[in-house]
Amino acid sequence: MEMRRDVFQAIADPTRRQIIGLLAAEPLNVNTVAEKFDMTRQAVSLHVKILEECGLIMIKKQGRERYCEAKLDGLSEVSKWVEQYKKYWESHLDSLEDYLAKIQNTKTKKYAKRKS
Amino acid sequence: MQNEKANVADREISMVRLLDAPVKLVWKVWTDPDHIKNWWGPTGFTNTIAKMDVSKDGEWNFVMHGPDGTDYENRVVFRDIIKYKKIVYEHINFPRFTGTIEFEERGNKTMLNWRMIFENKDEFMKVVKEYGAVEGMEQNIVKLDHYLLQVAAAE
Repeated sequence: MEMRRDVFQAIADPTRRQIIGLLAAEPLNVNTVAEKFDMTRQAVSLHVKILEECGLIMIKKQGRERYCEAKLDGLSEVSKWVEQYKKYWESHLDSLEDYLAKIQNTKTKKYAKRKS
Repeated sequence: MQNEKANVADREISMVRLLDAPVKLVWKVWTDPDHIKNWWGPTGFTNTIAKMDVSKDGEWNFVMHGPDGTDYENRVVFRDIIKYKKIVYEHINFPRFTGTIEFEERGNKTMLNWRMIFENKDEFMKVVKEYGAVEGMEQNIVKLDHYLLQVAAAE
C-alpha cells in the first residue's frame, strides 16, 4: 500500500508536532532532537523522516552531522483547509440569514396586501 | 482558564453574526424541525429530520442528503436549553464536537454566537480535510433562495 505523505499526516502525531515546534525555533541536528524525547533514537528518526517526506523539514548534511530545518510554508496548507471548513459552517449562517429574511419578507408582504 | 483557552484554540470554530430578525423568530427557525430542515446544510443538500426533541438530553437525529446521493447521518444530543438564550448540543457521531449557540436580543435583531469545540485535534484535522475537499460548499444561499421562492409562491 502506498503511504500518503502530506502536511496533514505530518501534524497528525503529537511527537511530530513537538518536533516541528522545536525546529521552528532553531535548526537542530537529529541527535539533539532525539535527546529531547523519552523514546528511542530510532523512533525519533522515523518521525523526522516522515516530516521530511511530508515536506515540513529539510535535512542538511554538515560534515558528519545531519541538521534538520523547519520549512513552515507547508503549514499554510493546513490553515487554508481550516479556513474552508470555517466557511462551510459560516454558510449555515448565510442560509439562516437568508431564510429569516425570506420568511419575514413574506409576512410583511402578506400584511401589506391585507392592508391595501 | 487561560490554559484551557490555549488548549482548544486549535480545534475550535467560532462565528458571530448579527441577524436581522427578532430573537423569538431566530429561536423558532432553529428549534422547529419544519423550519430547520429548510435551511440547514450546504448547497445542494436536503435534510430528513427523524427526531428533534429540543430539551435537556433530548435527541436530534437527522440525515443530510448530499447532491451526489451520499447520506450524512447526524446524531445530536442537547445538553442545555435556555429558551431564547442558549443551546448546548453534542454531536455524538463523527466528527464529535460540542456546540454552543448563544442568542442575544438586540432590539429587533439577534446576535448569534456559535462555537464548536472538537474533541481532539486529530479528528478536527481529519474533518477539516474531508469537508475542505468538497468544493463550492459555501454557496448555500442559492439553494435556500430557490426553496424560499417556492414557499413564497405556494403561500
